[in-house]
Amino acid sequence: MSKYINTLIVSLFLLNISFAGNKIFNKSNKQKVDQCITCHLDDEETNKEPAHLYKQDIHFEKGITCAGCHGGDATKDDMDEAMDKNKGYIGIPNKAVRYKVCIKCHSDANKMKSFGSNIPTDQFEKLKGSIHFSESLNGSTPIADCVTCHSVHNIASVNSPKSTVYPTRVPYLCKSCHSNAALMKKYNPKLPTDQYNKYRTSVHGKQNAKGDTNVAECVSCHGNHGILSVKNSKSSVYPTNVPKLCSKCHSNAKLMDKYKLPHDQYENYKESVHGKALFVKQDLSAPACNDCHGNHGAVPPGVESISNVCGTCHNLNAELFEKSPHKKVFDKLNLPECETCHGNHKIIHVTDELLGVNKHAVCSKCHNNTKKDKAYFAVLDMKTLIDSLINSDSSSKKVLNNASQKGMDVSDAMYSLKKVKQVLIETRTVTHLANLKKFKSKIKKGFALTSKTKKEGLDAIDEYYFRRYGLGVATIIITFLVILLYIKTKRMDAKKR
Amino acid sequence: MKEKYNTKLYNWLDERFHLDSLVSFLKHKSVPDYRNTIWYYFGGISLLLFIVQVTTGILLIMYYKGSEDLAYESIQFINAKVSFGWLIRSIHSWSANLMILSVFIHMFSVYFLKAFRKPRELTWYTGIFLLFLCMGFGFSGYLLPWDELAFFATKVGTDIAGQLPFVGEFLLKLLRGGDDVTGATLSRFFGLHVAILPGIFIVLLSFHLIFIQRQGMSEPEEWKNKPESEKKSIPFFPNFALHDLLIWLIVINILAILATFFPWELGSKANAFSSAPVGIKPEWYFLFMFQALKFIPAKIWIFEGEVVGILTFGLAGLLWILVPFWDSKTPKGKRNKILNYVGLFVLAFIIIFTILGYLLA
Amino acid sequence: MTDNLENQEKKVEKTRRDFLNILLSGGFIAWIAAVSYPIFRYLKPPKIEVVKVNSVKIGKVSDMQKDTGKIIKFGNYPVIVLRLANGNYRAFSATCTHLGCIVQYRKDYGQIYCACHNGRYDLHGRNVSGPPPAPLAKYDIAIKNDEVTVYKPSA
Repeated sequence: MSKYINTLIVSLFLLNISFAGNKIFNKSNKQKVDQCITCHLDDEETNKEPAHLYKQDIHFEKGITCAGCHGGDATKDDMDEAMDKNKGYIGIPNKAVRYKVCIKCHSDANKMKSFGSNIPTDQFEKLKGSIHFSESLNGSTPIADCVTCHSVHNIASVNSPKSTVYPTRVPYLCKSCHSNAALMKKYNPKLPTDQYNKYRTSVHGKQNAKGDTNVAECVSCHGNHGILSVKNSKSSVYPTNVPKLCSKCHSNAKLMDKYKLPHDQYENYKESVHGKALFVKQDLSAPACNDCHGNHGAVPPGVESISNVCGTCHNLNAELFEKSPHKKVFDKLNLPECETCHGNHKIIHVTDELLGVNKHAVCSKCHNNTKKDKAYFAVLDMKTLIDSLINSDSSSKKVLNNASQKGMDVSDAMYSLKKVKQVLIETRTVTHLANLKKFKSKIKKGFALTSKTKKEGLDAIDEYYFRRYGLGVATIIITFLVILLYIKTKRMDAKKR
Repeated sequence: MKEKYNTKLYNWLDERFHLDSLVSFLKHKSVPDYRNTIWYYFGGISLLLFIVQVTTGILLIMYYKGSEDLAYESIQFINAKVSFGWLIRSIHSWSANLMILSVFIHMFSVYFLKAFRKPRELTWYTGIFLLFLCMGFGFSGYLLPWDELAFFATKVGTDIAGQLPFVGEFLLKLLRGGDDVTGATLSRFFGLHVAILPGIFIVLLSFHLIFIQRQGMSEPEEWKNKPESEKKSIPFFPNFALHDLLIWLIVINILAILATFFPWELGSKANAFSSAPVGIKPEWYFLFMFQALKFIPAKIWIFEGEVVGILTFGLAGLLWILVPFWDSKTPKGKRNKILNYVGLFVLAFIIIFTILGYLLA
Repeated sequence: MTDNLENQEKKVEKTRRDFLNILLSGGFIAWIAAVSYPIFRYLKPPKIEVVKVNSVKIGKVSDMQKDTGKIIKFGNYPVIVLRLANGNYRAFSATCTHLGCIVQYRKDYGQIYCACHNGRYDLHGRNVSGPPPAPLAKYDIAIKNDEVTVYKPSA
């Protein structure tokens, strides 16, 4: 009898093993018995508890047992034997050292390959230098580690919509800390906490809410593991890096075509004064994409608000424009205010050719040579005046250069000429007011200056010739004397003899 | 009428100072009249140029400011804003160079005409010292505009002075008023240029002139050995003096022409932190020494090449100064061929190395 | 007979000599004039008396209204002088530290303002808003006998 029962038990056991073995072999090449799950599944009451969750976990699919992270012996069903410290059992690791469990495999390229995975293994390297890992309240526990974002026990592949870091779920994930003012205050009271709300007003946010995974969410711009402070020049959202970042998507023709958007903005921006200021001069005050479009609430400014947007820096021009007759007309005609004449991305250095009625001028696009159009003649007047001042200035400069070449000092006059530059700047700015009288009053000063400096230059040249003339007179006197003396000495010497 | 006033003045002075003996003495002063008389003018030309320097120098002091922040600007100011400031300044700079040239010619002509021989040894010694003072004037004055060229030329020059063994470091600190060329150097050089050197110069010059007046013009062997019928001389007053005056007028005119057509330049303001301009070299009267030093290898036996060079120049200079001593060995009336050859060698050396200094810039 | 001739010759000689002497004296006087003229003109002080501008007088205390600003020429540089609402005077360099435009005082902002790119400086010259990367250099004010003088701070 006992022999029979023994055989039954052994065969049942062998059968169990082979089944279990099959099961495991189907999923991976490592057969592992996970007794932990078996016991804990019985213990748990809800589906939200670890063992239940773990069934959905990608690590479970790969055949990693609970002991793979928690240590211990997964083959033992006896609690003490399974959760044996000598077998490496670590219990529930605390937040300060939790990451060490993950990096045991995830930072080891060979280990990852052995599970048939091609995902990168530099996450911890990046995380180590990031702001989430380097900041801490007690000096040892990082703000965020692997578990904070990827969660635990139900970790899904990043490509699965179930993953906490799937593009449509990322905003909610980041929001859980970054919109919590009380929490953020503990680390950096100055950081705003409205990014999520702003994001949802943006085109990116709205699309993302609809399930579009092509649009930008937090990770697309800030990165995932290696997130640096915005003030860090290596951060992807540091001002000089922003245009390139946006162009990652916005210069992608195929992607942009899907949304019927242009894809030349970055190329245009690079040619613009703003782009040159940012990239070449490294002037951080120059606007990048986010300064005009917003960063979290990114949306192109509406037609009526363009002058306000440009006006955050070009304050005076915006003020003048808003006082001008153009503002009402442009808004009525749905013309994009500043952009109408200056463009949006490819804003290049303005020349005087923009003003007037010639080929490159913008005024003649609306104003015509008819009796009723007073503005046409005003524009003509303005252009003529500016051209005339520039001519006057350059002829003054010529005279002064001539004088200076001759060795005369004209530094005072040269300084006055700098004031002409100032007058030209002010005059060109006041064209935004579109008022001929004001224009004339500004430019008057310039003509006074150029005529004064020209006179100073001509005086200097006169002085130059005066010196030579004076020398000539002195030479004549001396030569006269020399001849006389010569005669006298000759006489004297003769007398002596 | 004029005659009466002249005589009245003369009598008034004569009563007090007994001018008769002086007048008769001066009446007898004469200059040998032969092919080498032309060289006798150069002493006078040097004197004229010195007077021009003192006059223009005093005028410049009215507007020049000798501090680091203001020196450069004050020269610009003189050049541009002060009436005829450009003229005074350029004359001062040109006259400085012409004076040194004239003094060199004067020295060499005295050397070759053997005018240093007994009894005129002291005249020679004071003259040589005056030459050194002239070069000191040149060196100190050159720094005063405080432009880049001046700054670096002074730096290089004082560096060389610092190379002298034993006294070098002390001398360098003394000249520079510190370790580097700074505003302190400018102050010292200014004081040297307008007070110390002029004071010493005037004293020595007075001696030099008194000696000449007392001893009369030197009469070289060549002239002395002429037969009586061919021996001609010009009375100093009024003939030679008028010739002098004529030449002086021409020199003044030349100065005015140079100042107008070749105004003296002013570079950019000195900046201690900029690098020395390429090919920096001292003014032409130091150039031959500078260039010669460049040819000396870095090390000669166990000594530093530059130090050997400087000491050699020092020794050569000393021997040159002591020529009355060497020449005294010559029996009276004989020509000293060796001296002539040495003189020609020195002249050729100076000319060749000065030219090289410009060619190899 | 020969005496007469000799006398005549001597007379002619004398007149020639006198003529020559007159010409010579005249010539010398002209020469002295030609040399003294530049020297005297030189000694006469030029219009701008000083080489380097270290201070500029800008007028009486009451010349400027309270809470206004004006630009003055200080040597070769523009300087903005402010009279604050409490009557105190302040002066700063008027060259904006961003791209060099000339700043102005905006009463409505209570700040120094740069029209080029909306840069703002507070009443201590510190850059508080907009692109300027650095504050405006401060100049000192001295008020003596009711006269306001702007001068460069020492060192």
